[in-house]
Amino acid sequence: MTELLTPFHYEYMLKAIFVSGLIGGVCAFLSCFVTLKGWSLMGDALSHAVVPGVAVAYLAGWPFTAGAFITGLLAALGMGFVKRKTRLREDAVIGVIFTSFFAVGILLISLYPTSIDLRTIILGNILGISDGDIWQIVIISVVTLVILGAKWRDLLLFCFDPQQARALGLNVTGLNLLLLTLLSATTVAALQAVGATLVVAMLVTPGATAYLLTDRFGKMLGLAVSMGVGTSLVGAYASYFFDGSTGGCIVTLQSALFVVALVFAPKHGLIAARTQRHAAA
Amino acid sequence: MTDSALHLDVRAVTVTYPNGNIALRDASFRLDGGTVCALVGVNGSGKSTLFKAIMGFVRPSKGEVLVFGDDIQAAQKRNLVAYVPQSEEVDWTFPVSVWDVVMMGRYGYMNFLRIPRAEDRRVVEESLTRVGMLEFRDRQIGELSGGQKKRVFLARALAQRGRIILLDEPFTGVDVGTETAIIELLRDLRRDGHLMLVSTHNLGSVPEFCDQVVLVNRTVLAYGPTAEVFTEDNLTQAFGGVLRHFRFDESTVQPHDGRTVTVLTDDERPLVFGKGGHLEYSHRQGREQIVRERAEKPDDE
Repeated sequence: MTELLTPFHYEYMLKAIFVSGLIGGVCAFLSCFVTLKGWSLMGDALSHAVVPGVAVAYLAGWPFTAGAFITGLLAALGMGFVKRKTRLREDAVIGVIFTSFFAVGILLISLYPTSIDLRTIILGNILGISDGDIWQIVIISVVTLVILGAKWRDLLLFCFDPQQARALGLNVTGLNLLLLTLLSATTVAALQAVGATLVVAMLVTPGATAYLLTDRFGKMLGLAVSMGVGTSLVGAYASYFFDGSTGGCIVTLQSALFVVALVFAPKHGLIAARTQRHAAA
Repeated sequence: MTDSALHLDVRAVTVTYPNGNIALRDASFRLDGGTVCALVGVNGSGKSTLFKAIMGFVRPSKGEVLVFGDDIQAAQKRNLVAYVPQSEEVDWTFPVSVWDVVMMGRYGYMNFLRIPRAEDRRVVEESLTRVGMLEFRDRQIGELSGGQKKRVFLARALAQRGRIILLDEPFTGVDVGTETAIIELLRDLRRDGHLMLVSTHNLGSVPEFCDQVVLVNRTVLAYGPTAEVFTEDNLTQAFGGVLRHFRFDESTVQPHDGRTVTVLTDDERPLVFGKGGHLEYSHRQGREQIVRERAEKPDDE
């Protein structure tokens, strides 16, 4: 029994669990909008596009969040620009731009291997997180949560029916930019916890799972955030015992919940769909 | 200065897209409240551009759109222009209920946080009652039939207290029964002084429920009362060569068939012109006056 409490005796474990839970919650909140807006690929792109920013920030001695945030937004705006000005389809534009950013990031890191660790950025290193980084993450998370709490209804209308939002005089371009900015900021925060490669899971899976479980946005938010926080707390805690990657642990748990929902969801699950087909036949 | 009576004034509007395409050139028309007006034209004729200009989504490079004598931005602030989207534009799997959607019409009246007040709830309830959808308030929107979906979005326009309601192809994917129900509702709203502009390519339904027509082909070709504007000449001009004709005098229909000829179409109502080119309606009921007038002419038996 006491063995189960061991992680709580280490300050670094307590910090890791707390930070993971916080990030898990913020990412899950945003994941509802990401899934409904169809921006999953965008989340993936942003999480890779922040890498060169992190590299430059470390080299220049800035806070890593500043650098990451700048390249994240640059990539997002770049994608918007190329999409508007060319005949390329969106997936091609996203594919080209995020890999370009990612490649530059990897190149920079490989050129200056002493100052930055590639593994930290790609896979995250929440157990070794510094207090300064924790503060950056806490500030980003709190600001994001406050904005989302205040503007989620506007963002919901923007995702559902941008025409109506415009007809009511809402600033649609502003909302688009706001959602993009929040997404970039959250990506940056989550980078430390799970690493660039797994951020997208945190930004999509909880929302996707919750979407299978309910037809109401309010419930979807509640479910996604509980799952995000829950899996992150448990994942960080559990990673202590088998000495595995924290990000891997969290995301595996999230994927497990997704599979459960996929099969057993009351209305939109595989079993329910099968029963409905039989009932109809 | 705003005028007291509702009117929509489109004045010499030209819309040029960034790629240099002129979607609409020098389009003008004026409509007053208490009308159901059809906006008729082929795909690419500038119908949707005209809609966008009236909603303030595109800025005309020349000309202006006025509501109550004010520009469109002022009309937007007063929530005057409401929009009923085409069914294909809506994500029906979105996790929102009928109630949620209609409440979205109230955003313009809410504060920064968009928290509904008692008044908002009252208006939403009233709007849903009006379209006969209150009992479905807790349904997810994808669980509705085609006609019910349309009525929910109409309720949203009502909840918005929009005086000008733009409807984009309201009858696609709607069965004949619900089409009649929606037309009935539009007539009610017309009695209340609303101005409805209905974009449609379903010609036959126009004389049935629209009292006015705006014909569009890259500009406004003609506008006014349906019987005056909906002529074979005007329609040929608006549609070029894409209309299909069935002329009884050239067909195998003979005098012994008399008037017992039945016209069927797959999903759209046929548009029928009588001798001399006047519009024919599918039912005599409510048009007794026209029947009497035409009967008085000696050459019409």
